[in-house]
Amino acid sequence: MSKLVAIYNDDKKLMDATEQLVSVKAPVEEIITPFVIEELLAKFHVKSNIPLLAFFYGVFGVTSVFAALYYTFVISYPLNIGGKPSFSLTFPVLMFIGTVLTTVLTTVITFFIQGKLYPGKKPEFEYPGINDDKMAVLIDKSKLTPQMETKLRAIFEATGAEKIDEV
Amino acid sequence: MYNKNVRGELILGNKSYGDITRDILRSQEEKAPMWWWIAFAVFFVLMSIGLGYFVPLTISKGIGMWGNNNQVPWGWAIINFVWWIGIGHAGTAFSIFLLVFRQKWRTSINRAAEAMTVFAVLAAGLFPAIHVGRPWDEIFIFPYGPNSRGLWVNFNSPLLWDVFAILTYLTTSAIFWYIGMLPDFATVRDRSKGMKRKIFNALSFGWVGSMDKWRKFEDTLVILGGLAMPLVIAVHSIVSTDFSAGILPGWHETIFPPFFVVGAIFSGFSMVVTLMVIIRKAFKLQDYVTDDHFDAIARIITFVSLIMGSAYLIELFIAWYSGNQYEAYVFDENYLQGHYALPYWLMLTFNAFIPQLFWFKKVRRNLKLVFLITIGVNIGMWLERYNIVVPPAAEDFLPANWFHYASTIVDKWVYLGTIGLFGVGVLLFIRFIPMMAMNELKQQAKRQTSLEPTEAEYITYKKIIDNE
Repeated sequence: MSKLVAIYNDDKKLMDATEQLVSVKAPVEEIITPFVIEELLAKFHVKSNIPLLAFFYGVFGVTSVFAALYYTFVISYPLNIGGKPSFSLTFPVLMFIGTVLTTVLTTVITFFIQGKLYPGKKPEFEYPGINDDKMAVLIDKSKLTPQMETKLRAIFEATGAEKIDEV
Repeated sequence: MYNKNVRGELILGNKSYGDITRDILRSQEEKAPMWWWIAFAVFFVLMSIGLGYFVPLTISKGIGMWGNNNQVPWGWAIINFVWWIGIGHAGTAFSIFLLVFRQKWRTSINRAAEAMTVFAVLAAGLFPAIHVGRPWDEIFIFPYGPNSRGLWVNFNSPLLWDVFAILTYLTTSAIFWYIGMLPDFATVRDRSKGMKRKIFNALSFGWVGSMDKWRKFEDTLVILGGLAMPLVIAVHSIVSTDFSAGILPGWHETIFPPFFVVGAIFSGFSMVVTLMVIIRKAFKLQDYVTDDHFDAIARIITFVSLIMGSAYLIELFIAWYSGNQYEAYVFDENYLQGHYALPYWLMLTFNAFIPQLFWFKKVRRNLKLVFLITIGVNIGMWLERYNIVVPPAAEDFLPANWFHYASTIVDKWVYLGTIGLFGVGVLLFIRFIPMMAMNELKQQAKRQTSLEPTEAEYITYKKIIDNE
């Protein structure tokens, strides 16, 4: 799949370009930056469901740890320690720690799965300096009409793109 | 949104994004300086002797090699354990508290603080592991099942909570640290060749800074931070419960959980400052770790020192006010004027009195003094743990039982071994891993530029000033 790529070396120029790209409804496939630009994410309404999933992982964690504690300490082998009840107020301590551990591990696994990240994976897009000080706007050429492509190239040039390329 | 640059510039020298990458990666792209090799050799020797000889000696001959006795069953091992765990709170206190509270000045320091957390918690974990005497029986701590005895571990015991709390803390801190490094590993990957590129390609998990990944990255970090923040409080409260659940005078105190948590943040922040002064000087990073950073940390240390001082006073007051003769004995006869007066007064001096010098701006801005005071705090915090662990146990309810404690050479070398482990870890970190979060620094640099007045604003301000 061939892509139209515009490289910027200044985030202000990039923001100017995205402003115009949004206004002409350009089929922007991806914008790659060396650091997070919140305004950019807001402009393209980029959202993730990780916070919601983390909440459910937490609910799962707290119930499963409670179930494990209840089984081991009340049903399987109720110890009599100084006459204190087996089902005691000490449960919340381990429930909290267990919930944190479960939520942390599952959230991170979700992050890796959703982001398609794994050790040794080849980067999806490579360009010198792209993780350093350069930013790239990627546009799927198959979705472009010749007129639109000309318009976008004009926008890139007008907003000071360092390089316009095809990959 | 409140968007005012109240702290002034956090990155000096008008750095471009490329400058930030070059400055931070200089420590790994250039040859290691001579001081690095000397420091590495010293810490490596300490680690090898301490952990390579004296730890096996302890395991093979038993805990009798230490100064512990029937009266003082917890000696240096637990003092060092609590001390290291306290330092281990640096990363979370610094990185996560300040992340959750949106304090942008954390960016230059958080990565190093997180690294310290991981190495300090590793050092801490060693002590309970070898203190049990027979480490090969540690499997029984975990609630594995079904087991041959039909018995589960005691979930009511703070000592068991400790196992889970510390392992969870270590896991969470290490994951938080690693996830934050993914974009920076990608930067190093792109600048490397050969084997180094392969290694950093594996470490970066194929990271590319697309919009979707940045959103997920930010959300994941905030969630991990939000989960780890109460965990810090839980971990050190649990460590304190190891003591306060006991009935010994001097241990049986309800103030211990908040007292321990604040003490941990105190020693953690101080260790961060100590190391950041060295890193800043060694790698000429004055533009990133500015005098304003140290000023801000020194203010926090002053505040925490006041809390520590108040806690010491409250302990003394309650010892008197409770009317409990055993409690009063510990504080009056042991701490204030007795056998353990020297470590007690030194602790008060290092932790409560000397940090008050930070009220003066001249002291906060003098890095040599800041360095010395924070080293003092770390010594003071070690002495505080000594005062908690040893005196109450040495002289408890029955004078016929009293027996004093003296550490042995094995105690000292195991402690030095963990200092070696920590030092080796930190030195390898600054040599092979980007020691500051470059992606966050670039974000900060962008924020700084966007807060500079535009040309139109500048003309308006100038008009206003001229009219005035």
